[in-house]
Amino acid sequence: MNIYSVAYKNLLRKKTRAALTAGGIALSAWVLATLLGFNRGYENGLNRDIDNMGFQVLLTAKGCPYEAATLMLKGGTGLRYMPESVVKTVYLNPEVEKVTPMLMQGVFDPNKGENGAIAAYLGVDALTFPAMKGYLEFKQGGWFKDNNAYEAVMGFEAAELEQREVGDKLLIPGVDKELAVTGILKRSGTQDDGTIFLPIGAVQKIFGKQGKLTGLGIKVRKDADMAAFENKLYDLPDVQVVSMAQVKTTIMNLVNSARVIVLGIAVIAVIIAMAGVINTILMSVMERYAEIGILKSMGAMPLDIFKMIWAETAMLCSVGGAGGIFLSFLTARVSESAVRYFLPYAPNGALIALDWRICLFAFLLIVVGGLLSGVYPAWRAARVRPLEAIRIEGEQ
Amino acid sequence: MLHIRKFTLFFILAAVSSNTFAAVGCDLNDPDRDVVRLFPFSTGYKTRYLSIKTSGGEKQLARVEERLGDKFRGLYENIEVPYTLYDIFRGTETLGYIHGVNQKGEYGGIQVFLALDRRGAIKAFYIQKLTSRSAKELRSKEFGAQFAGLGLKDFENYSPLSGKSPEGSAVSGIKASPRAGKDFFSVMRAVKKNLILMNEFVFSKREK
Amino acid sequence: MMPTMSAKDLSKIYRRGSEEVRALDGVSFEARSGEMAAVIGPSGSGKTTLLNIIGCLDNPTAGTLSVGGEEIFGGRKELSEKELTFIRRRIFGYVFQKFYLIPTLTVRENIMLPSAFYKSSAGAKSPDDVMKLLGIDKRAGHLPGELSGGEMQRVAIARALINSPKVILADEPTGSLDSRRTGEIKEILRELATQGMTVVMVTHNLELAKAADRVIELRDGKVV
Repeated sequence: MNIYSVAYKNLLRKKTRAALTAGGIALSAWVLATLLGFNRGYENGLNRDIDNMGFQVLLTAKGCPYEAATLMLKGGTGLRYMPESVVKTVYLNPEVEKVTPMLMQGVFDPNKGENGAIAAYLGVDALTFPAMKGYLEFKQGGWFKDNNAYEAVMGFEAAELEQREVGDKLLIPGVDKELAVTGILKRSGTQDDGTIFLPIGAVQKIFGKQGKLTGLGIKVRKDADMAAFENKLYDLPDVQVVSMAQVKTTIMNLVNSARVIVLGIAVIAVIIAMAGVINTILMSVMERYAEIGILKSMGAMPLDIFKMIWAETAMLCSVGGAGGIFLSFLTARVSESAVRYFLPYAPNGALIALDWRICLFAFLLIVVGGLLSGVYPAWRAARVRPLEAIRIEGEQ
Repeated sequence: MLHIRKFTLFFILAAVSSNTFAAVGCDLNDPDRDVVRLFPFSTGYKTRYLSIKTSGGEKQLARVEERLGDKFRGLYENIEVPYTLYDIFRGTETLGYIHGVNQKGEYGGIQVFLALDRRGAIKAFYIQKLTSRSAKELRSKEFGAQFAGLGLKDFENYSPLSGKSPEGSAVSGIKASPRAGKDFFSVMRAVKKNLILMNEFVFSKREK
Repeated sequence: MMPTMSAKDLSKIYRRGSEEVRALDGVSFEARSGEMAAVIGPSGSGKTTLLNIIGCLDNPTAGTLSVGGEEIFGGRKELSEKELTFIRRRIFGYVFQKFYLIPTLTVRENIMLPSAFYKSSAGAKSPDDVMKLLGIDKRAGHLPGELSGGEMQRVAIARALINSPKVILADEPTGSLDSRRTGEIKEILRELATQGMTVVMVTHNLELAKAADRVIELRDGKVV
């Protein structure tokens, strides 16, 4: 028999009350863990999307940088064009490991949906682009070999929408050009899944944009001074430099302000739960006033009573905290769907990334909060004078 | 205790399964707009998601293929493909249904939607997406009007493999210009498949 | 034989504003090991106040108390709650009229409850032995809600015995029981005294008082 088993049994005296209090704690733990998981998942996803671009810096023709950044991450046509000569100019820099030129073009397809839609095609270099995106794998076929061939490689979802397999034909509406599908990519969880890749020379020819690019992807050497290199690029005429670090910072700044508000809500949820804990335990102490007096008459010291009541708080918060964290695992995918619905940009991959560190942190925060909440009720209980308690009970 | 375990397992699977990679379905791009256009007197609709795998499994797939007169082909036509079914209401009364299927065309995917009345007759024909040199013709009102009033019975003897139907039958009267070529036959196959699936998912169950 | 408990001139004055209430006024008595002493008197005579003071639940205003040769109250400053608890748990076992069993603990657990807070240096009794002594060994796994009034009081007595106290203090131990069960409790308390314990009880029950070796009658806070 020990104080902790007595504390546990005390909680079982009012099962509904204990369950409701633990439920409230579980909800706050769920909110906290899910939000912390979202913080981690969003940043991981963003890093992953940026890493999966294969390059750390993107050059585009001069225009709005935010537009460029968003277009780059979500895919879209460049607003203006750069001369192809920029490839050589950039490649000569010692910091550069690889470059890959890109030309995005779109056509209006009146037969997509009720009002038509843009069909976009990304022209890429047959040699350098696959090397930059080494992680891309094929479900069928492979990359085109000739920069001027009328061929296409399709991302998984683009192929699924068009019901294309290797050997099938694609028709570019408006310009009435046929392409042969040479490869279907496996699902990568990036924007490449929805992209149709064409050889850059073919795109330039089809759309009459010879010698023009919309973007140049640059992979920088690991030991390069990124800041210095970007400064050099800023000197190039009529181009703008979008560094992935900047994109990430821009997006994270936008997300961070929302995060602060949301974390504030989580903290408020925890505080409300803790208020519930104080109320429950204090009520329990008041109900057991005489009993606590009896325990003291049996030899329980004030510290023993304090520990017993505090243990009840710790148990409630532990059960609630563990339950809430378990709930956050169960509902991670559902929560993720809800987040994706409301966020204008959400990276691919798991948005709610729960790991043992987050779970431990959330759990400890809840338990520590609970222990702090339990101090007052435990102190009140420890102060009970046995004689008064028994006398009050006798009067009742 | 067992039912609690089952429920927990179901919940876990349901939560996890939303993240598994599903085959692409065929949804209306703007159902609020399209439902009203196809069923002008409707007051609301309900969306359901079905697949042959969950509806009747391999047996149903075999039956559908037999009725279609053709096997399911390729990467994207399989037992797991989700189909979106819209139940159309006026008040509490069911007016009919809208159902779409994806079909492989010569140059891209074709999304063929049929608006059916309660008996399964075609009220309206709508190609939401088509990449074809004859897209204008195949998406025209005139072409679509040829399907009005037809039902599964009319397509029973249509062969998607040969593209032929019995002389004098209602389906043999559906025409497109020679330019439409393979895409015309793809559209016809899609219509027959659409009607068969609607019969499997809705009408035959109602008869029972 | 030296008395186990010796109280001399115990007084307890309660002050309510300018009013003074003398709950006890110069009460002296002795009780020996193996004796059962009964404190009787009308309501308001100071019986429970006396029991609370000799049980170290409260400090006297004046007077001395020694138990087993150890002076507890003796002209020193008022003892703190902590000091009183230290003394209480070494020397006394308490039995109350209302039993005060924990409803979610079994009989065995209720009996062992004091040992959760204090391990007697004199050696705790075995709960099985105590349950057997009191005839409740077959109810070890039951909850208080499943027991009769008499059984609950036996459990309360067993709980009071677990840490091998020198003195058992019982405040109206049969107050909630019928005559049959009163007789059973009387026999138990008698048996405890026979085994060498000092039993001091407050009671209104004449039958119980008659069974005592020593009767202390109080009236208006004084020994009659």
